[in-house]
Amino acid sequence: MEPEYKSKYNAHLIKVILVLIVLGVGGIAAQALFIPSDFGEYGHYRTGAVEDEINRLVRNQTNESCLKCHPFIKKIHLGGVHKTVSCEFCHGPNADHAVDEKKIADMPVKRGKDIKTLCLRCHNKIIRARPEESIKMIAMPQHLEEKRVQTTHICNQCHHVHAPMKWVIEAKKAHGLIKEKEGLFPWMN
Amino acid sequence: MDELKLSEIREEIQKDRRAFIKNVLGGTIAGSLLMVIPAGAMEFPEQIPGMQDETGIFITRKKFAFIVDITRCIGCGSCCVADKNEYKVPEGNYRTWVERYIIDDHDNVFVDAPNGGLDGYTEPREDVPNPVRDTFFVPKLCNMCEKPSCVQVCPVGATFQTEDGFVLVDDKRCVACSYCVQACPYSVRFINPVTKTADKCTWCYHRVRKGLLPACVNVCPTHARKFGDLNDKKSEIYKIMRLPHIISVLKHGMGNKPSLHYLGLRREVV
Repeated sequence: MEPEYKSKYNAHLIKVILVLIVLGVGGIAAQALFIPSDFGEYGHYRTGAVEDEINRLVRNQTNESCLKCHPFIKKIHLGGVHKTVSCEFCHGPNADHAVDEKKIADMPVKRGKDIKTLCLRCHNKIIRARPEESIKMIAMPQHLEEKRVQTTHICNQCHHVHAPMKWVIEAKKAHGLIKEKEGLFPWMN
Repeated sequence: MDELKLSEIREEIQKDRRAFIKNVLGGTIAGSLLMVIPAGAMEFPEQIPGMQDETGIFITRKKFAFIVDITRCIGCGSCCVADKNEYKVPEGNYRTWVERYIIDDHDNVFVDAPNGGLDGYTEPREDVPNPVRDTFFVPKLCNMCEKPSCVQVCPVGATFQTEDGFVLVDDKRCVACSYCVQACPYSVRFINPVTKTADKCTWCYHRVRKGLLPACVNVCPTHARKFGDLNDKKSEIYKIMRLPHIISVLKHGMGNKPSLHYLGLRREVV
């Protein structure tokens, strides 16, 4: 005869098994619900995330794309030493200006004191750490004193912002200081 | 516009081969043929040769590397501006930034990066007591490690390395636990306060896949930032890597194997 203390019913076992089944099914359901179907296709990540990244909007375009619609500026910009300077650095990203080559808003144009700040971002001599040989450096206001102009002058009164030596060369040619054909700095043209 | 469909052209050919060829040569169908072939599908100029042929989910034929030439950087901050514009990076966060190093003749090193170089460097450093021995700018960005620690620590698979070697962040899965921010030896990661997810430089993966250069490379006026394909023997990157230049990576000892290389890097930075 079986001892008294052993239960004749398996209710306790059935309860445990039922709980396990519910947990298992719940777990699988939760996994199916929360883990995207393309997860783990190539690695421990969602394949769609790569596509999301590829489809991100390109906000900065190239200089060519800007100059395509601005032929007048193109002629000046590409003719000067600033041809490597990005349009969008000074004027802002293309995406804020044009969509499918149609203008949606005006680009900001820096004027007055802002011009000086902008120029000195690259050309300020007093900022040490710049390799001297790569670009022309000037110190303010010594440069203005040297050129014998008022110290209140801003850069674009003498320098065309798109082709800095354009007016200087033209003025020197007009005064016969340099010959008609040669530039001020032959390597710059 | 009378547009001929491919099936119609095929029919035309079936009907009378000789007449069809005559017509094409005569120019009556030629115009319509051009209409069928999609022209001008390329929206972007191809700055990276052969990139627009890569249409699969991953880039298969290319291995990209980034080189920053310290000897050319003038610290103008064009790259930082372009980066900010490309991604609308919230104020106070930087996907890329430019540091200024000043080393005096007693070998004391002074480093600063006001606003990450975003506004350029407008003021000289006044607190350097001794004469300056060496001074230069160091642009910083994602090192795109071959063995990224950020990917290793991510608990939800939100940051990952694609098969073409780019380390990206999936902002739909990221729970902003910041493990990756701490794990990155180069401190390029941050929690974006707008999306509330981890964010970092991706070498402009979306631009590269369209054949464009990364935004910072595209705008650099002195060509200090270079990006290209190591498998392409004609690329500048390939040539630089195979010539006896002083090329180094940051924190070599960490073993992350960065794909970002520096040209002319001083030992004080490493």
